[in-house]
Amino acid sequence: MYYGPIMPPAPPAAVRGKTLSKKHTALGVLACVAIAHAAGSFAAPASQNADTVKVALRRITESQYRHTIADVLGPDVKIEARFEPERREDGLLALGSAELSLTSAGFEQYFALAGNIAAQALDDKRREKLVGCTPQDPAAPDDACAQAFIERQGERLFRRPLAASEVQVRLKSAALGAKQAGDFYAGLKLALTSLLVAPDFLFRIEMAEPDPANAGQYRLDAYTKASRLSFLIWDSAPDADLLAAARSGALHSQDELDRQIARLIASPKFEQGARAFFADMLQLDGFGNLVKDPAIYPKFNQSIAENAREQMLLRTVDLLVEKQGDYRDLFTSNEAFISRPLASVYGVPFASKAEWTTYRFPESSERSGILTDVGFLALNAHPGTSSPTRRGIKVLEIFMCQATPQPPANVDFSKVQDSKQGTVRGRLLDHMENEGCSGCHRRTDPIGLALEHFDGLGQLRTIENGMPIDVTAELKDVKFDGAQGLGDYLRNEPRVPACLVRNVYQYGVGQKTVGRDRSYLAAQTQAFAASGYRFPDLVASVAASPEFFRVAMPKQASNAATVASTAAPSPSPAE
Amino acid sequence: MKTRLTRRSVLRGLIGGTAVSVGLPVLDLFLNTNGTALASGAPLPTRFGTYFWGLGLTDTPTGGTRWVPTKVGAGYEVMPELEAIAGVKDKVSVFSGFRVIGDGRANLVHWSGHASILSGIAPATASRFDGPSFDTKVADAIGTGTRFKSIDVDASISRQPVSYSTRTGSTFASPDVTPLALYTRLFGPDFQDPNSDDWKPDPSIMLRQSVLSAVTDERKALMKGLGKDDQVKLDQYFSSVRDMENQLAVQLQKPEKCEACVIPAAPKEIARGASVELVNENTKTLAKLLAMGLACNQSRVFTFVHTSGASETYMAGNSKIYHQITHDEPTDAKLGYQPETSRLAGLVMQGLGAFLAELDAIKEGDGTLLDNSLVLAFSDTGYAKIHAIENIPMFLAGGAGGRHKAGQHIAGHGDSVTRVSLTAMQLAGASIGEFGAGSMKTSNPISEVMA
Repeated sequence: MYYGPIMPPAPPAAVRGKTLSKKHTALGVLACVAIAHAAGSFAAPASQNADTVKVALRRITESQYRHTIADVLGPDVKIEARFEPERREDGLLALGSAELSLTSAGFEQYFALAGNIAAQALDDKRREKLVGCTPQDPAAPDDACAQAFIERQGERLFRRPLAASEVQVRLKSAALGAKQAGDFYAGLKLALTSLLVAPDFLFRIEMAEPDPANAGQYRLDAYTKASRLSFLIWDSAPDADLLAAARSGALHSQDELDRQIARLIASPKFEQGARAFFADMLQLDGFGNLVKDPAIYPKFNQSIAENAREQMLLRTVDLLVEKQGDYRDLFTSNEAFISRPLASVYGVPFASKAEWTTYRFPESSERSGILTDVGFLALNAHPGTSSPTRRGIKVLEIFMCQATPQPPANVDFSKVQDSKQGTVRGRLLDHMENEGCSGCHRRTDPIGLALEHFDGLGQLRTIENGMPIDVTAELKDVKFDGAQGLGDYLRNEPRVPACLVRNVYQYGVGQKTVGRDRSYLAAQTQAFAASGYRFPDLVASVAASPEFFRVAMPKQASNAATVASTAAPSPSPAE
Repeated sequence: MKTRLTRRSVLRGLIGGTAVSVGLPVLDLFLNTNGTALASGAPLPTRFGTYFWGLGLTDTPTGGTRWVPTKVGAGYEVMPELEAIAGVKDKVSVFSGFRVIGDGRANLVHWSGHASILSGIAPATASRFDGPSFDTKVADAIGTGTRFKSIDVDASISRQPVSYSTRTGSTFASPDVTPLALYTRLFGPDFQDPNSDDWKPDPSIMLRQSVLSAVTDERKALMKGLGKDDQVKLDQYFSSVRDMENQLAVQLQKPEKCEACVIPAAPKEIARGASVELVNENTKTLAKLLAMGLACNQSRVFTFVHTSGASETYMAGNSKIYHQITHDEPTDAKLGYQPETSRLAGLVMQGLGAFLAELDAIKEGDGTLLDNSLVLAFSDTGYAKIHAIENIPMFLAGGAGGRHKAGQHIAGHGDSVTRVSLTAMQLAGASIGEFGAGSMKTSNPISEVMA
């Protein structure tokens, strides 16, 4: 579980470049042979010839779904549904969704939602713009017009051209619906619905093809590259321009790739991409169900939770995208966005008529940087108390890419004292002295203790159970004092920008980094520093690197698709 | 449908002359005109479900316990933490002394326990199971004739919806978490009243079927060229599509009358908060809806979560959460156990008591819905203070249609928890003979509770 430091003292000068390892090449050939054998009578989708390999299946996230629908079918199409829960792996939902499938209840939701979206997209006021052709008889099927519609929308939604068979089966649906209802558009609704529930839409199916420049090796196909770029930078499906670059194959050239990256980053949609990335990295999904005990924190309610989430995103996107500022200032800036509900929690006046206004916190407020935002403090606490341990774990995980291992199962808590007296520091000191616990608590707790002037809702306080709260902390050789001291520490800690680099890369490729990625990540981190820690430059640099499109061959498929527990081999000892 | 029609003319009328394939059993059902074939006469179905709560029940370090009865067999005594189920005690069997055997795998706190009970394998990592949860096997065996193969519910009001039901080990069910959501799913627009006299098949359902067949037509092409893990994922996707197809097919059939089915009123939104009082209230409301969903034949299988493994629940107004209390609270020297922990355990068990009472409140045939159900209730740990995966409390509640010899206390003496799981599967009517892996592999159910 523990990732270890990102920047090793002296990594071996292993340069991976574009070539695959021997192991990968061998696997690739095997997979290729297996597929050639398996290729039978089934018509392959247009983008897939006998030599393509599907290298990954990544479920699209809720925000990717929403953004894609807005871009393809219109921003005013309402999306009201409960989405499948996502799961975080190694700090990112993007890594978890690469592992997830769809449950029955989840599919049921997508199915109902698809019908609802199709009805809205093809209603009287939107259909003309969306369909692009007029049926000869609006009360009857019209194959030519339906086909043009299915092919165009299908390409946007599947992020690749549709195979003839994929179009045909939907043409049949369209004709059936049109006949039954005596309405051409009723048929189109069925066809669009079936596009919206297809695995090709709900999952990003990443494909690789033989690399013409390197015999025996594979590269991602151009449509997969287009999707990787677009989902990283816009959190949405590729637009027509990007799809055209994939169709012509131009996207395989570095020049066209650079041009597309520059275009995507210059677009206003880059902000929604950055928001999606930081919502994932900062783990803001926890706000939806955040609860606090109303007796202890009477000011808390759902609108506080929503505002607190938005405040963190506003701070981040304003600094990193709008101002193109230094990422490290995220930990020290005392300028924040504030809303009326939040002002009451912060205990500051709110005079603006706008929903949000900027506010500069005075020194005495002890607020500086994102760690002192009510959102971070409230999210990483208990319903009725703060939690220095949880806050410490999250600072390490989110900003330094350091996971904390599971606590040991059998811990002797007998020395732990009663928390109704004194401050939480005393209770945690016991953990730090306990042998089984100290390894982790020595890392996590000092960070959280520095934030103890903020209660479980993030309100300033200096006394707990009648005792003054001590917020000095010591981490290895570094001493700091309170939240501002912690912010300064993080601003100067080299693992912090290195962790952002790693997260951007993992988020984009949907794969965990491993040991041999070290030199690549170190080089990207260096470039990030050289750019003045500008986030847009980091995204562009990662997206333009060959590693961003590296092919990771999947494990060979066996004939048995699912593993039944009754047939599973004995578990091996824990690694 | 009074006019005499042939099967085919009905279909043509429904869909405007276009050919649509519908399974023959469906036609047999909805064209039956004598009105008796579908009426009662068939035995009442057995329902199966799991009920999970977090943080176990309280042991005492000196070897005693707050929940394990001294008496083994029938007529066990109601221990303090079992008070909440005293009212249905004769319908509940208590299983003590069963454990997780990891074969060298680490005890992943608040995870290994229920992962082993449900999947039969001690898990390698703390976010997934190493196999499917067995409720999905039971659902495959007994749940295909109803609209929903399984209903998953989470009453915990947690940060993330909690479910431990999984087909792949990595994707877990997405549960309904509020009464309104559960109500809408069960009794919303797609619900067909089984007791209604003017049932007609809805022609739009066949159009929705055609939408799905466009997807399933591509299955083979899609599966081709996929890696092993991705095949598992896509397989689950198509299994979910099949469940949807099944839902639609069921809706084209005239539903069988259900005497016990009374459509409930739409519930109000709940107060948000994770205190044990609110969670119990939510549990009771959700249980009432779920029970009626079962009685109305919408599903035969369910999974229900009261609180999650490392539960965040707490007593209102108390700053410490239950989880923290189980670890921090010292054992009271005089009492010999953790008093506050035990009090919370008792409160948490009120959730189970309320849940079972709701199933028992619905009269069905000569007995109650509970008599025709089997519920495996269990937790993630035994003694939570030390994350014990020995002596995990497990209960089998309900008569399983007469198959469960309920009301007994079974002492496991260190046997694998999978024996209880296997017993549950067999009592529920799934023909599964063996369960688990390594030292937890068993083909030996607990025959004492099987009639």
